[in-house]
Amino acid sequence: LALQRRRTRRDWMKDIYSSNLTPEEIVSQSPSSSSTTSTAGHTKEREHDDDGFFFAKKPSSSSDHPTSESPDSDSDYADKSKPTLNLSELTKWEDEDMLESIRGLFITGVDGP
Amino acid sequence: MAAGSVVQYSGHKYLRHRLALSIISGKPIKIGNIRSEDKNPGLRDFEISLLRLLEKVTNGTVIEISVTGTAILLKPGIIAGGPLVHDCPLSRSVGYFLEPVIMLAPFAKRPVQLTLRGITTDDHDLSADLIRTVTLPHLQLFGISEGLELRIKKRGAPPGGGGEVQFLCPIVKQVKTLNFVEPGKIKRIRGIAHAVRVNPQFSNRMIEAARSILNRYIPDIYLHSDVYKGEESGKSPGYALSLLAESTTSALFCSEVTSKPGVAPEDIALQATRAILSEISKGGCVDQKHQSLVLLMMVLGSEDVGRCRMSQPTPRTIQFLRDIRDFFGTSFKIVSVDPTKPDSSNLLYSCYGVGHVNANRDIA
Repeated sequence: LALQRRRTRRDWMKDIYSSNLTPEEIVSQSPSSSSTTSTAGHTKEREHDDDGFFFAKKPSSSSDHPTSESPDSDSDYADKSKPTLNLSELTKWEDEDMLESIRGLFITGVDGP
Repeated sequence: MAAGSVVQYSGHKYLRHRLALSIISGKPIKIGNIRSEDKNPGLRDFEISLLRLLEKVTNGTVIEISVTGTAILLKPGIIAGGPLVHDCPLSRSVGYFLEPVIMLAPFAKRPVQLTLRGITTDDHDLSADLIRTVTLPHLQLFGISEGLELRIKKRGAPPGGGGEVQFLCPIVKQVKTLNFVEPGKIKRIRGIAHAVRVNPQFSNRMIEAARSILNRYIPDIYLHSDVYKGEESGKSPGYALSLLAESTTSALFCSEVTSKPGVAPEDIALQATRAILSEISKGGCVDQKHQSLVLLMMVLGSEDVGRCRMSQPTPRTIQFLRDIRDFFGTSFKIVSVDPTKPDSSNLLYSCYGVGHVNANRDIA
């Protein structure tokens, strides 16, 4: 079990300081899938892509995320500090259970068992 | 300012923090390929305006821009500070210009008193309200507090702007080492609802809607309706709700949503409220929008180990960490706060401060 845990824990330092992944790629990896081996594999794959055949040059920074909102893909707003709200992500807070789930983070909430 | 290594980058992304890092570290920076593939290549008006502002804040900075505008070279001078005025283009809000200045200002020769005119709140950068209530308290963690202030003299909604803010920042010799690992529990929520050149009732409608969700958690909620009239309300109509939550250990989380055509004030408020719940649920001691500022001050701190608990890094933070290493040679140690819980997304960031001393400071 301990071994399994170690594998699922993510090595952020390695991803940040010694991989060629773009910041967006690092963040979009789900924590569970980021064992060090898969990261290394991913890196290699990407390097291969870059060195390999020609690709149509993608003009905008967010070309990796075709679903993201248009203001982000506009290269004029690449350097912005306030992230675009993900409205579909926010709908989860319409759920009563979700609202209750963070009660423990407030002083009025009791600690879990 | 020692001659030699020029730090090189490609592309227009992350321009602001790279320029700030160059000026603080004294290392020249060269950025090429600025939108060179774009239909409209080169620097934008707001980027040129930012370079001009940095020129004003410093003394002896040399900036060379290539003929096509796709490459710049900046050789930093000293951070001079003092009373300054800058008119920001309406393509970006004052927050865009203020954020890099906030990184530099504590290390100036004289206290910065910067007046910025333009748009005070928009969807792209931290608004004047968030900078005042959330960003500046983050500097206080590092011993930068006496006389630190942002005054919102006039509000200016996009597209017309017409707002004015004044940023006052004291100078320090050195920033304190941070040790912030206890997130605490949320004890109070504050908010500012403002509405300019629209029905003033919009503020109250936003407050009502936000309370409909927040009242369940804690009693200490104060949402302020900030009214600016006449000249002070700028040139365009608009409104926004900024929220901040503070924990028992003074951890701050914030969110903000601004008016959009065809969206009711209630819906704007609900979005802002859900956004702050989302931010609170990420945990840690620092809000995601302020990771970079805190990490920068940690690196500059005295030669000791600084530690801070935060949520996962954003893409901006990841690039910032890489760029910090380019300028200061410092890497952070980033480990899970609780190794026994692999699902815990909180991380402990620690680094050894470089012991940056403000050599520009006037010895009074």
